[in-house]
Amino acid sequence: MGIKYIKTTLILFFVYMPFWLTAGLLKVNPGEFSIREAIKIAQPHDTIQVASGTYLEHDIIVDKPLVIIGIDRPVIDGEHKAEIIIIASDSVTFSGFQIQNVGFSFTKDWAGIKLDRVDYCTIENNRLIDTYFGIYLKKVKHTIVKNNIMEGIAKNEVNSGNGIHLWYCEDILIEGNKISGHRDGIYFEFVEESKILNNVSEGNIRYGLHFMFSNHDDYIGNTFKNNGTGVAVMFSNFIIMKDNKFIDNWGTSNYGLLLKEIYDGELSGNVFKSNTTAIFADGTNRIRITHNNFISNGWAMNIFGSCMDNEIAFNNFISNTFDLTTNSSRNHNSYHDNYWDNYTGYDLDRDGIGDVPYRPVRLFSFVISKVPESIILLRSFFIDMINIAEKVAPVLTPQSLLDDRPKMKMLRYD
Amino acid sequence: MKKTGIVSLFFGLVLIVSSCKPEGKPIDYGHDKCDYCMMTIVDQRFGCEVVTKKGKVYKFDAVECMVNYVSEKVEDENGLALLFTNTHDHPGKFIDAHSAQYLVSKNMPSPMGMYINPFGDAAEAQKMQQQNGGEIFSWDELRAKFAN
Repeated sequence: MGIKYIKTTLILFFVYMPFWLTAGLLKVNPGEFSIREAIKIAQPHDTIQVASGTYLEHDIIVDKPLVIIGIDRPVIDGEHKAEIIIIASDSVTFSGFQIQNVGFSFTKDWAGIKLDRVDYCTIENNRLIDTYFGIYLKKVKHTIVKNNIMEGIAKNEVNSGNGIHLWYCEDILIEGNKISGHRDGIYFEFVEESKILNNVSEGNIRYGLHFMFSNHDDYIGNTFKNNGTGVAVMFSNFIIMKDNKFIDNWGTSNYGLLLKEIYDGELSGNVFKSNTTAIFADGTNRIRITHNNFISNGWAMNIFGSCMDNEIAFNNFISNTFDLTTNSSRNHNSYHDNYWDNYTGYDLDRDGIGDVPYRPVRLFSFVISKVPESIILLRSFFIDMINIAEKVAPVLTPQSLLDDRPKMKMLRYD
Repeated sequence: MKKTGIVSLFFGLVLIVSSCKPEGKPIDYGHDKCDYCMMTIVDQRFGCEVVTKKGKVYKFDAVECMVNYVSEKVEDENGLALLFTNTHDHPGKFIDAHSAQYLVSKNMPSPMGMYINPFGDAAEAQKMQQQNGGEIFSWDELRAKFAN
């Protein structure tokens, strides 16, 4: 039996040997050879190794399947003239480079690395500095964008691009990237079946992550810190939002998470800390908001009357100025089994559940939603009085909006 | 005495007339929110604005939002005094939305996914149409086609 195996192995070896031999290796050194020329003479499935140094090149079009690797992080500098790498072939791997100084255009979305109508590519371990749009995927499928660092220069300027921009894509994995100084850190428009895992999106002007018209996508384990708004999910269905951190998103129109016209999603295991409003929801239906921590926010949640059939359960609400506010006197959502640190009821039967329901909407938060300027009265004695009066006999706040199983102790999540 | 009365009446009238005239407000890009979709307005090619006869200003991040807002919130445009849009040829500068040309081309994405790109100059719009394909609409045609 051993001989038979060796025979097969040998046959396979000789059958495939020509392919190994043809997959050549090209080396590019600074000064003697440009990356563009190397791509021109390379055969499909060759490997191009680029030695460290600075290459002043732009509009490099990769039009055949190649593996392009930078050794010791060579720099490709576009000198603000145009875009730099354009991948126009399937099965391209591009890794280990520093891409910098892309030009700016009002009419063209120039990018550090652009993928245009291709499948099965990998963009890995690159560093992009001042690239307007960082990595731009246009009608791309089955592609990996991993461990890249993107540093935009957008500080106050609004004509800035997005870090990772996806438009009409499918089955894309975005993992372990660090994005800062862009308009939106990661932008999804018409993107299906894609995953965003363990990225850090920080200090972007508008949103850390932005969904538009995208369905069946997951974002898990990401950190969104100090962006205009952490994440905005708009006009999208079946989005899974798990184990993310939403931190330090401050400002009058800024939120940790902005939900607008979104259906059938899951939001669980997330931490919302130090945001002006942790969650703002408008037109949000059938979302399960469970096992989240809301810590030290201005408002933990602002749920508009247009939201229906959401379940808010097993969350911790700790040290928030307001737990919940709404602009409607009706309630179509279910609240149960949450821990509210503002709850003052007793647990005489010692079952861990408070004996009287908790009403998370205070009258004053309802007043503020109508007249924002009245916030100046916060902490005044008069406000405490009317809050207590409303608690005893609710008139203006939604009567059915209550947690009838408030937890006595904080829920622990590891 | 009489003269002073007439003068003060005149100034009073001027004041009333001038204060009632509806005026546009510049968009604070990066800070102002769209009054229709809530997104922060960032792109100077697409920002729009509606001013009602009473002088209230509504700002939008894209033409799509202005079209929807106008058709949903205001039954007829008579309640509106002014409609402004930014354009691709002069980003950041308002022009009358009625006089703009709107190129709808599948190759030119816009913020709200309907590919509506405003232009001030008809020649510029036609040039982009030749490059990217698509169709050019006037404001009224656009309203009729895209209002949902």
